[in-house]
Amino acid sequence: MKYVQYRSTIYFYDVPQVIEARDSFGGTYVGVLTSSDARADQFLFVGVSPESLREFREGLLDLRSLLLEFGEHEWYTAAVQDLGDRISLSEQTSDIKASDWLPDEGFIFHVDAEESSVLSVAKGTDRLAIELSVSPPESASEHRVHVDTFVGLLSGFQVLVKHAYRSAVKDLSQSARKKVTVADAHLLDVVVPAMAGSFKVVLSEATRSDLIGQSEVARAMARIDSLFETVSTPELAIETVKQNQGHLAGAFIRLVRFLQEHRTGLRYSWAAPDSDRHHASAISEAEATRIVEICSGIANLEAEKVVLEGTLEKADENKRQWRLLTSEGPVSGAVKDDGPSLNGVKIGALYRFTCLEEIEYEMTGRERRKFYLIERTPALDR
Amino acid sequence: MPTFYESLPNDCPPLEASQVNEPTVVYRLVRDNPPTEEDFRSQRSLQPGKQFRNVTECQACGLSVHRLKSDSALAAKLPSLRGRQPCRVALDTGAGFLQQTGKPSHHTWWRLADYPVLEHCTVETL
Repeated sequence: MKYVQYRSTIYFYDVPQVIEARDSFGGTYVGVLTSSDARADQFLFVGVSPESLREFREGLLDLRSLLLEFGEHEWYTAAVQDLGDRISLSEQTSDIKASDWLPDEGFIFHVDAEESSVLSVAKGTDRLAIELSVSPPESASEHRVHVDTFVGLLSGFQVLVKHAYRSAVKDLSQSARKKVTVADAHLLDVVVPAMAGSFKVVLSEATRSDLIGQSEVARAMARIDSLFETVSTPELAIETVKQNQGHLAGAFIRLVRFLQEHRTGLRYSWAAPDSDRHHASAISEAEATRIVEICSGIANLEAEKVVLEGTLEKADENKRQWRLLTSEGPVSGAVKDDGPSLNGVKIGALYRFTCLEEIEYEMTGRERRKFYLIERTPALDR
Repeated sequence: MPTFYESLPNDCPPLEASQVNEPTVVYRLVRDNPPTEEDFRSQRSLQPGKQFRNVTECQACGLSVHRLKSDSALAAKLPSLRGRQPCRVALDTGAGFLQQTGKPSHHTWWRLADYPVLEHCTVETL
């Protein structure tokens, strides 16, 4: 007789509908509720490979395919009165497909945000806390993650928070902006590098919240939540990305592309010290892949329109390159393919250059900004 | 204090749940067309002596609904829910409390006693 122990509920509707269980050898099983009455819940159980279960959880494999991978050779039923008890599996010899207990094709899992301890961390440290977790292929059967996956995740998320913060602050009135802007308010520290049993990392804002527990990073996280809110519907997600066109969209797309390349989804949750609940969101590998596919077909999504004002120091009409001396120092750039000609510009004159600013990331994570002129007008002397 | 359709444990609905105070559409998978009150009874009500693991007692006393019809259609692919149809329920002030309890659009609804759910429920095809 084979026995398994309940581990977690994968899908819930009124009651646990799809569950994960393990046997005494560490073998993984998926159970699907087939019927329920006052005496017991009847489940169909099939052993699954860790990699296939990971693909199912990431939305890459439907439930029926997961169950048929091994279910055509070996499958079980179980009458369960209490999921906390050891579950006794009865091996079946008939064809699983003839049972009418398999789910229909197309049951694709959507990543759920997990339970989080981030609220207690935020209140305990009096700083906003963020919990991130990933499930790349190497973690399917071992507690392991590639270094570049781990480092890339932290770097990508920090960049996303930076641009989300800047985007949020831009929407404030000038007077409000003066009161709240802190140069490095977006910076995060790793406070718990790897919680046991998963790849969860806990980050905390580097700058403590103000005296009444209001966090600047919370502005950024609210903006990030709005981006992740629609990831399960790619068409809606793209509209949200377009509304945040510029560096924030670029950072989001970069992070999503990273997830796709490293074959993982992402779950995160966050809480501020003055919160009474945590916020949570998630994106699966399949959702990340879909968003990357759609975004790659949209031009200039990651470029941010900026206006530079200053004295023209250099203009090369043939090479279509220029340099403007602004109040923040010299800025060099090129002219966009369909941008204006530099013919007739005067060196030493004041100009207002409207540019598309693009950010390139070096291997070290350092940003390189490139400016592409799309419109120029003479600026008035002050 | 509002009166709920079913007896709820202390601190239920939780603080995170929001009272419905504007028109809100949810979908509930129902067995019958037209639906009956049986389609809108919680698992605790249907199986009073049962032990629910990994589910709070509060959630066991609520009803699973989806905000998106596509999520309802997905759930209906599962063997225990196969054959059910999504009932479009038009909630409004007086309907009770709603909390998102799963992605993408799974919510738990704690219904108020006076809310005439069958009058606001229209069965749709999948």
